[in-house]
Amino acid sequence: MSLREDISLAFKAALPIVLGYIAIGIPCGILNDSIGLNAIQVLAMSILFYSGAGQFMIPNMFLAGAPIASIIASVSLVNTRQMLYSASFAPMCEGIKKRLAFMFSACVTDESFGVNTEKFEEGDWTVRRALFVNCFSCASWSASNVLGVLIGSLLNIPLAIAAFAMTSIFICLMCTQKITVENVVAVVVAMAGVFLCKAVGLSGPAILLGAIMGVVAAFVVSTVRRKPTEGEVTAGD
Amino acid sequence: MTNQEFLLVFLCCTVTMLICRCAPLMLLKGKSLPEQVERALGFIPPAAFAALVANDLLSPTMFDAGLWPAGAPLVAALVVVVVARLTKSLLWCAIAGVVSYALLMMI
Repeated sequence: MSLREDISLAFKAALPIVLGYIAIGIPCGILNDSIGLNAIQVLAMSILFYSGAGQFMIPNMFLAGAPIASIIASVSLVNTRQMLYSASFAPMCEGIKKRLAFMFSACVTDESFGVNTEKFEEGDWTVRRALFVNCFSCASWSASNVLGVLIGSLLNIPLAIAAFAMTSIFICLMCTQKITVENVVAVVVAMAGVFLCKAVGLSGPAILLGAIMGVVAAFVVSTVRRKPTEGEVTAGD
Repeated sequence: MTNQEFLLVFLCCTVTMLICRCAPLMLLKGKSLPEQVERALGFIPPAAFAALVANDLLSPTMFDAGLWPAGAPLVAALVVVVVARLTKSLLWCAIAGVVSYALLMMI
């Protein structure tokens, strides 16, 4: 349980995220440079706001001429999905000092939520290790964003292909979930929910709403599937 | 973007983000949660990953530009599913995904 061991295990776990963040952080820095943000501003935003989706949305909406208030509202709405990750980590943080729990939760992202959830399920994982995973991820995101601002125009990274690294990570995390009836229901309903939200023009909160639909559907199924056994007992009486 | 506009966007977005990231954990932490809540929390990972995947791959207008621009990522996604089942490795999945997507786009 030495610090050294924590750091090296966390680095190993964070490596796929780190590589992915370097690949999409540089194009993100280039985009933010194009609306006139400087390296200091981008660094501050990458460390404190630290949101891939958000940092792509801000310059995109600004370039499209969206008013500032609408940028703030849309970005905040997209990021409400973080509430789900935060709630899901609550049991793992039981008995952990408030400050550590706060620091850990303040730097959770889609990708680090996935990696740390997987590690917690495997067992032998601590909040301190999970915090290091977040730190490595944040450091690579911040550094590559600044790199994008400074020398981004010299590198030519095709964004659609680089971003597929993140999609692949999500696919892997989804496929390595335990295959139970409830989990399959959660996956199918969540995907259908996201599609539905986009179809009716709710693409901002699509991830949050889709995921909530998946959780609710799986919860209902798991409740229904428990009932018959209880019913049999009563019938036996 | 002026410095003033930047500060406004930066501060507001950071505050809403911090609340979403920290409030649920700090409020639920340390409370003994009812069995139903624990069970529901356990369904967040599969539902969230599926929602993230669907958000990247699916949209009602995806086939408007023709079959292939939307089909290529779907085929690459299937390659990743196979690699995920075989290796269970995030790194191999990311590499397989990016390489197969890049190759498919060259067709």
